[in-house]
Amino acid sequence: MNELVLTLGWLGIYAPMALGAAASAIGCSIAGMASIGAMTETEGGYGRFVGVSAFPSTMVIYGIVIMFTLNRAVTPENAGGLFGIGILSGIALMYCGIWQGRACAAAINATKEKPEIFGLALAPAAIIEGFGVFAFVFALVISAGIS
Amino acid sequence: MPFWKGSSAEMSEQDAYIALMCSLPGSERLFVAKQPPLSRIRLDRRLTALTADDAKVLNVLEHTLSWSAYDMDVTDVQAIQRCKQALMDIPQPTLRKLFVERMELRSVVAALRLRKRGEPAPSGSFGVGRWSRHIPAYWTDPTFGLDTPMPWLKEAHQLLEDEDPLGLERLLLSISHKQLKRHAARHMFDFEAVAIYVLIWNIFDRWAQSSATEAAKRFEKLAQQAMADVADIDFEGASA
Repeated sequence: MNELVLTLGWLGIYAPMALGAAASAIGCSIAGMASIGAMTETEGGYGRFVGVSAFPSTMVIYGIVIMFTLNRAVTPENAGGLFGIGILSGIALMYCGIWQGRACAAAINATKEKPEIFGLALAPAAIIEGFGVFAFVFALVISAGIS
Repeated sequence: MPFWKGSSAEMSEQDAYIALMCSLPGSERLFVAKQPPLSRIRLDRRLTALTADDAKVLNVLEHTLSWSAYDMDVTDVQAIQRCKQALMDIPQPTLRKLFVERMELRSVVAALRLRKRGEPAPSGSFGVGRWSRHIPAYWTDPTFGLDTPMPWLKEAHQLLEDEDPLGLERLLLSISHKQLKRHAARHMFDFEAVAIYVLIWNIFDRWAQSSATEAAKRFEKLAQQAMADVADIDFEGASA
């Protein structure tokens, strides 16, 4: 039984990093495909499209920081806490990354028609980034209570 | 389907055609541009990104909705059978729904035209869709009792009575466009979005063809060509 609990603890430590990486990969690919499509239709502003498509890459950075914060000797006492925080923060980051990619794709699609709305079109992606930051910050706060 | 997709298994992959959709000019721009922002050749080139299955569905949808794909002497039974066959070949619920909506619109307009021609109420059902039995039952009503689901029918009836075919054509195109835009709001980058875009492009194409100004220009051009031909005719040895 102890082995299973310890395994869950290790899973919890690595989950934010792995799920964050998956989130960034999927999110960036979604937004990246949109920027490539938009480039074939527009005459300029390519750099902006590429920049926007890199937005979801922050999720893997949050995941790495959470992983380092959770990284410690895994014991039967702390394994449950590590598992809970790690898995749930990882899932939150994954959702944020994927949907941020979709929001970025929609922003790119809109700004290729109306470049003047570039800043406003990024607002949904920025709000989703805020939710990712919430998951990140409070994972750090809660992890301080784990022995 | 993965848990993060947030859609039912019957719908298409929601991120399947991100690059394709982003490479097309906005459908709103089609109607305000002086020059067509996207030719059919360019559109077809972009549509090569579709998978074979999706391309087949789009072809069925376009082909069944295109008037030019029907023979002049096609019977009601043949047309209805073709619609039923098309519905069997279209698996996406949104596309099926918009297809049926368009066919309902065509059925009710066909009924208006038949009645204007003095035809009696058809026996049994007429056309395709929810109102196929309702239309013959309310044949004498100016709008077939369909004011609520089809509020534009009154105007269509009036345009038909006023013998304004161009006005009627434009009204029907604008109604079809609104129907498509309503469905488009729920699809951003999936196959349904691509199919709706192509159908809107087709409306734009017909809209451009029905433009009075363009028609006048075309008529003038044809007339000049015809006159040029006449000028070459030799009347009794003297050039006209």
